[in-house]
Amino acid sequence: MIDKGENNIDYIKLSIPNKAEYVSVVRLTTSAIASRMGFDIEEIEDIKVSIAEACTSTLENSLDNQNIDIEFGVFEDKLVISVKGTGGVRDIDNTKELKLDDIGQGGLGIFIINSLMDEVETINNGEEGTEIRMTKYIKDDIV
Amino acid sequence: MEINKVFNEKLEAWVIDIIGELDIYTSPKFKEILLEALDEKMSNIIINGESLSYIDSTGLGALISVLKKVKEYEKTITIKNIKPNIKKLFDLTSLDKVFILEGCD
Repeated sequence: MIDKGENNIDYIKLSIPNKAEYVSVVRLTTSAIASRMGFDIEEIEDIKVSIAEACTSTLENSLDNQNIDIEFGVFEDKLVISVKGTGGVRDIDNTKELKLDDIGQGGLGIFIINSLMDEVETINNGEEGTEIRMTKYIKDDIV
Repeated sequence: MEINKVFNEKLEAWVIDIIGELDIYTSPKFKEILLEALDEKMSNIIINGESLSYIDSTGLGALISVLKKVKEYEKTITIKNIKPNIKKLFDLTSLDKVFILEGCD
């Protein structure tokens, strides 16, 4: 869960069945939220790809009859997205160069999220499952 | 997602047009169609990515498993005219060095 200690934050929640066809719904919703917050086209694309990878990874590891819960925290300067499922998530060390043999074992998605988002956390909640939490900051135009 | 496959005798390759999105929902079908084509005739593959709007790790994974298959027979996969947002993912994962990319700078 995203920390609700701060004021002036808008929350949006989405819960999807553990089915591949709903990932595109999450992608479109995320795109709309990020666009409304003022992210540019490339950043929106990065966020869209990352949320889809988080859902895909969670979906592959979760139980069939359980929903996947997605929570968006819309802050003034950042977007925090949390994806929760019942299964585990593979962690990958991003400092290592990606080898072709490593790919196709579920690690590619997490590698992509780590590359595109500013902060990524995978939280193991034991029997409750795993959460992927990621943050993208809105860049200040004035340098 | 829509896929058109034609065997081009002149190029001696399968020419695959892919229209739409390649994600967790559509990738298994995409992989199946490519493997079926290779069963019919083992040859090089040319993918026209002009109308491909989106790809994720499962789409890349499908392409990698098909590549592993064609490599056994010393064949290649060429991916043409992909959009910048898709090229970015190939660059990020170093897959731009594994596939032959054309017309997408």
